[in-house]
Amino acid sequence: MQIVLMALLLAASGKQQHDWLGAEMPLPLAVHTPQDLAFKNVAERQYLIFNLLASGKVAWDQGDFPTAAQRWETLLSLPGLDPEIDKVVRPMAEEARKQGGGKAAQVLPPPPRAPEKPREERRPATTTVEGTVSGGGAAGPGGAVITLRRTDGTMPKPQAVKKIVLQRGKAFAPRVLAVSVGSSVVFRNEDKINHNVFSLSPHFDTGLYGEGGEKEEVFDKPGVVQLLCNIHSSMIGYLVVVDTPYFAQADGAGAFSIKGVPPGDYDVETWHEFASRPTKQKLVVPREGAKLALTVAGDKQPPAFPPDKYGKPRQGQLGY
Amino acid sequence: MIAAALALLLAQEVISSGSEGYTPPADSTPSLRIVGYVDLGWARAKGDGTSFAPGDTRIPADYGVDAFAPAVNSRGDVASTDSGGRFTNGFLPRSMGIGGHASFFINTVDVDVRYTHPTAPLLLFTRLQFLPRLSSRGEDTRALIEQAFARVIPFQNQEFALSVGKFDSVFGIEYLENEANLRTGITPSLIARYTTGQSLGAKAFYRLQIPGLWTALSVNLAATNGGTMVDTLQPQNASLTGTPVFSGRLGIEINLPSIEIKLGVSALDGPRNDQSQPGVRQKAAGADARMVFGPVELRAEGIRLMQGEGAGDKLNGLGTQTVVSKFDVWGGYAQLALGFDFAGPVRRACVYGRYDRRHAQFEGFIPVTVDRITAGARLDILENLAVKGEFLKNRELEGAPNVDNDVMTSSFVYSW
Repeated sequence: MQIVLMALLLAASGKQQHDWLGAEMPLPLAVHTPQDLAFKNVAERQYLIFNLLASGKVAWDQGDFPTAAQRWETLLSLPGLDPEIDKVVRPMAEEARKQGGGKAAQVLPPPPRAPEKPREERRPATTTVEGTVSGGGAAGPGGAVITLRRTDGTMPKPQAVKKIVLQRGKAFAPRVLAVSVGSSVVFRNEDKINHNVFSLSPHFDTGLYGEGGEKEEVFDKPGVVQLLCNIHSSMIGYLVVVDTPYFAQADGAGAFSIKGVPPGDYDVETWHEFASRPTKQKLVVPREGAKLALTVAGDKQPPAFPPDKYGKPRQGQLGY
Repeated sequence: MIAAALALLLAQEVISSGSEGYTPPADSTPSLRIVGYVDLGWARAKGDGTSFAPGDTRIPADYGVDAFAPAVNSRGDVASTDSGGRFTNGFLPRSMGIGGHASFFINTVDVDVRYTHPTAPLLLFTRLQFLPRLSSRGEDTRALIEQAFARVIPFQNQEFALSVGKFDSVFGIEYLENEANLRTGITPSLIARYTTGQSLGAKAFYRLQIPGLWTALSVNLAATNGGTMVDTLQPQNASLTGTPVFSGRLGIEINLPSIEIKLGVSALDGPRNDQSQPGVRQKAAGADARMVFGPVELRAEGIRLMQGEGAGDKLNGLGTQTVVSKFDVWGGYAQLALGFDFAGPVRRACVYGRYDRRHAQFEGFIPVTVDRITAGARLDILENLAVKGEFLKNRELEGAPNVDNDVMTSSFVYSW
């Protein structure tokens, strides 16, 4: 709803007089990996902030107060905006609206109610839970998925996201990906040969598609999804769909960090593809954060005879 | 423009949150993998467990043809081959030696060793099998190397595989699920003895995908020391003639969104490798079809095999035999299976039925036609256990008296 409102607001703002570089999105940045995508997202966000900030000021200088008000109100509605920008822009946006007339955009958040109070007291304090995972057998702890579920209070609903899993070199990349429930995953084939992606539980089947092709699936139930290719029995990957906003994946050395965790009592669960069952433990997170040393077993192997999309086991050594 | 930019930003801001996943370095994947299964069984055959009719006073040599007793396990072993003194010419299956008694037994202990090179497209594979046979009336306990080969997939962007060593047949489709843990049911078909053997040699596989047509074409070719018969019909670890047997299958796969159809034709040509004269040939042709539609799987296969007459003794997995007459067989089967997946401990339940028919004749002997009706069920429990039960109704239709040799058998397969 918020996106729609802002898009309508901006569409109604008339012809733009100054085309800033940030308006020319998407930016021409190549995306080959999830890291590339994250970089592009950050860059485009900064471009847009600059665009709204500066184009509002240009409109202000030209006496076009309605446009200035719209630019800045939109800027102020962006989630996670730097407080320093808020502090500078908000009074000017209110002045522009007063001079330009009209009604302030509905998306403009209310000004701080108690500026005399420290900002930290207006928001629930959060902290960081970090640590390392060990175990995982010969493959090591990399890819372990650590989830925190609060037991002494409510948890915010995790935000649905969109992620990309590549099929490259007859393998899934990433091999293990944790996403929040309701998220969608785009499967993109970067091989010159055709691929398929399917899961037996929950059941989905993308069908066959060639190089450059993409298929998208939404995962609306928590759990582990085993990804397979009906053409290449050696391809295997995992989606771990989590129902909490507090989760992370261990890197190759086992290190992980979960930020934005409110202090409180939690159940900690650690899943690993080579562990037959997740490890569970209790955790009390104090205000200053927590450090964890987690262990996962390495007692499980990938399926010896991976099933095809109809559930029939295949002999991987045949090569077809 | 800025509206579109904002919408894009907000959409992508969602993308950027959460974890980015984990991909292990290529050389961190374990390159040695040992897997396998244990297949335990219980079976009871009616009569004395053989296909020799009590009181049959025909010329004993009539049993030189392959009116085999019905199988009791996935290897095609039968309850008994005790001929009661009648002549048999080695065209027999292996025996569990349980006769008509209900018995438990260990069918197969299988160990597959796979080595995958971490960077090169090389796979080394060995399938070792241990066959404990505790009955004093059947086969001896054996250990064998069923397969041992190297496979190379030389082109990353092509579905092309080369294998050298001892490997499965490429004829037809039954070899694809010839192991107890893979086969939907328990017993092999009446034609499996002609199509599912292993041989030494080289083979090549190539598949061409045509996504626009939801179709793939595949070809599988092999040059081996022997044909595609099981070891009781031919020696598997040596070439008696020095001349290779060529076999192959041409297939087409149609993968529609809700239905999969696979069709194939197979052929074999080469010296009859149960004796030593390369001029005595064997030829075979076959056709196969598979269709999967939702929970329904239908598969069917047929074969015609002809072998020329030899002049000397023949050698097969059961020893030296004396009569090498011309042999001609045709047969086939059709199987319908209905399977359902579940979320609980029982992961999958499947019921199936199969009809087999075979007509075989050694030149100079009476042709024998038999058929079989098989019905069974399979439960897959958790990730490792398959429990199967099966009933086989066997009928001798022509050339031999009908024998009361129906079989009730079961199998418990634990994969690891």
